[in-house]
Amino acid sequence: MPEMAIQTQKLTRRFGNLIAVDGIDLQVTAGQFFGFLGPNGAGKSTTIKILTGLLAPTSGSMQLLGVDFAANPVEVKRQIGVVPEGMGLFERLTGSEYLKFVGRMYGLDRATTQRRSEELLDFMQLADRPTTMIADYSHGMQKKLALAAAVIHGPRILFLDEPFEGVDALAAGALKALLARMTERGTTIFLTSHVLEIVERLCSHVAIIHKGRLVAQGSLEELRTGISGEAGNKTTLEQIFLSIVGQGGTERPQLEELSWLM
Amino acid sequence: MADVTHSVSVFEQIRLVAGLRWRILRNSLRKKNNRLDLIGLIFTGVFGGIMVLGLCIAFYAGAYASFSQSRLEWMALLFWAIFLFWQIFPVLVAGFGANFAFRTLLRFPLSLRAFYIIGLAYGFADFSALASVCWLLAMTAGATVAKPGVLPAMLLIGAMFMLVNVTLERLIGSWLERLLARRRARELFLGLFVLSMISLNFINPLMQRYGASARPAFLRLLPYFAWFPPSLAGHALAAITRLQPARFLLSSSLLLLYLVLFSALLWRRFAAQYRGEELSETAAPARAAVRPTAARDDGPDRLSLLSPPVAAIVRKEFRYLTRNGFALLALLMPPLVILVFSMNSAGWHLTAGGRGVSAEMFFPGMMAYLILILMAPAYNSFAYEGRGIQTYFTAPLRFRDVFLGKNLMLVSVLSVEIALSLAMLAWRVGLPSAHMLVATCAAVIFTIVGQLTVANWSSITFPRKMEFGQMRGQRQSGMAVLVAFASQILMGGISAVILFTGNWTGNLWLPAEAFALLAAAAVGGYFASLDALSRLAEKRKEVLIEALCR
Repeated sequence: MPEMAIQTQKLTRRFGNLIAVDGIDLQVTAGQFFGFLGPNGAGKSTTIKILTGLLAPTSGSMQLLGVDFAANPVEVKRQIGVVPEGMGLFERLTGSEYLKFVGRMYGLDRATTQRRSEELLDFMQLADRPTTMIADYSHGMQKKLALAAAVIHGPRILFLDEPFEGVDALAAGALKALLARMTERGTTIFLTSHVLEIVERLCSHVAIIHKGRLVAQGSLEELRTGISGEAGNKTTLEQIFLSIVGQGGTERPQLEELSWLM
Repeated sequence: MADVTHSVSVFEQIRLVAGLRWRILRNSLRKKNNRLDLIGLIFTGVFGGIMVLGLCIAFYAGAYASFSQSRLEWMALLFWAIFLFWQIFPVLVAGFGANFAFRTLLRFPLSLRAFYIIGLAYGFADFSALASVCWLLAMTAGATVAKPGVLPAMLLIGAMFMLVNVTLERLIGSWLERLLARRRARELFLGLFVLSMISLNFINPLMQRYGASARPAFLRLLPYFAWFPPSLAGHALAAITRLQPARFLLSSSLLLLYLVLFSALLWRRFAAQYRGEELSETAAPARAAVRPTAARDDGPDRLSLLSPPVAAIVRKEFRYLTRNGFALLALLMPPLVILVFSMNSAGWHLTAGGRGVSAEMFFPGMMAYLILILMAPAYNSFAYEGRGIQTYFTAPLRFRDVFLGKNLMLVSVLSVEIALSLAMLAWRVGLPSAHMLVATCAAVIFTIVGQLTVANWSSITFPRKMEFGQMRGQRQSGMAVLVAFASQILMGGISAVILFTGNWTGNLWLPAEAFALLAAAAVGGYFASLDALSRLAEKRKEVLIEALCR
């Protein structure tokens, strides 16, 4: 039986009367590159916040690497890395200072933190701005730094909320290669992105959330088969997504309603 | 083809913006924290209101006396008081200003005229403007009661003076906004500002020493002040009362000229903004930095006694302190204030003259003042974390470590400040008796540690984001201010009563013993509270993240 990296049971989050996440049962096996998709407001970010401890669920439970999050949050957090929505950087530190801070927060010793910080800054092409404060970084540079901070302690699960947004093509290529290598070595990557091509290229497994409910989950091949009814077809992820979320076009905005614009 | 919209009148645009402001306020009140904040603001507003009302009476009486006793030159003084308050107060307490960036309206098809009028109207939304208008109305009432015939002139001059002030205030604000668009410029400005505020304290001692010799020079300068708007307003009213139409015309025309000049300059500034003047803080082109051959290590770990997360937080707090020009300069304040106070009212060298305060009173008083200043930021200690607050919740640590790190840093800073101040006291005033020294030191521990518990609670309950080196919109949560106020009054009250108990009972060591017990209880209470506060932080993490990640 493969080791489960993420498992949730009836995970629910309400905001007043709004049910943002409605009893989802996620199952992500260790080492998977997992894409978590959904239209705007579907509950993706809320789910990722719950899974990383930034938000408490209203009900339901979850285990990361077999450890119950509610019972042992510190132990779980030690095993995961996060690039949250908004990146969560301390903008008045330099990139190097921030990485050292995060490394120490995760319990790495000083020498290891120092070495890994330098290597990560080099890899992310941020090493040539040693005295620049994060506040003065461009959006893409901040994103790369947030990624570096998320992996400095060698997490077993990596949660990435829109990791390639604002990152230039060159750096994005290197990052994708890094992430692919990490999954080969057993790291589980849980990624949300609105760019379906990226998800299709990187992820082996996908889940789709819509109006807070999990409407599809499985490998890309399983989803393709589920849609067309035949194995080995060439249905794209975009077609799968639209077919599941858009219910064959019935929920797509009707252009006829905007006739005054055309 | 899409429809093309028709133009909207200036009045309609202003109505829409007013509606927008109202909806922003109303919607913000849906959140409990914002409601509490408003309650806190109302409380502080009541104090402001009392001050405005009290001064309204003073301005009414001043104007009444000026006209009834034919001391018309006093009117110029009253106008000067309003003028200085209106122009200087917004710079001093910029946080009270409306923090809705009206320039964001530029994305809409707003005419330059509407943009100008809305910009000017925003000038009346400041506390200083509202208070000044109240005082002008009080002056008008006072003058009219004393001399009813002066009402039309008073209304005319009052309206012109009001427009001159609001235009100038907006003009200064707009220049400052341009000047301070860059973070470094803002921090530099704030540094200079704090230094100038500190320097103000030296005016009295300097006046005492050099006042007599500076007086003739000041008197020589005095006539030039007659050409400034407040004097012109006063002279115009004096002229009309003395039936000197030519002088009235001259003064009011010059006042009008000021209005036209300021309006033209403000129009120019607003026109530049309207055309899309870029003030944003885009990163300057970076110089090609040379990669250091060997990365610098931090050297030996001086915080090795602490757990790694606590040490990391202390280090981060220290870096934040050194990069926050305003906070750093504020640390200069306590020793300097002690120096100034000791020059003014205390010290062995002055006691001989019968004006000094003894070290017995000065020492505890100064320590209380120091704690009052330095503890205030602790009540919103996450203010500068911004989005970084999320790191504390995603990292594998208990929130008590965050409190410990932050509190440790604050206590270290306080210790250094107290040591410096103590040295300053010993030099300027001399040390108090042993029992007073011990009692005050124990009281310091009690009040600091006692407040830390409350401050930690306040920080997670009423968080409010603040930006480094920014002036506009920088305001603590109203409730955090109230909590700090109440807590400091309580601690100060308890300490004062205990200190005086020693005198009343004749047992001089009693306060020291009482404070030692209280300090021990406060330390115990502090450590006992950390776990409960950690649980509370976990419970309130959504509020905390939402407030600080905006």
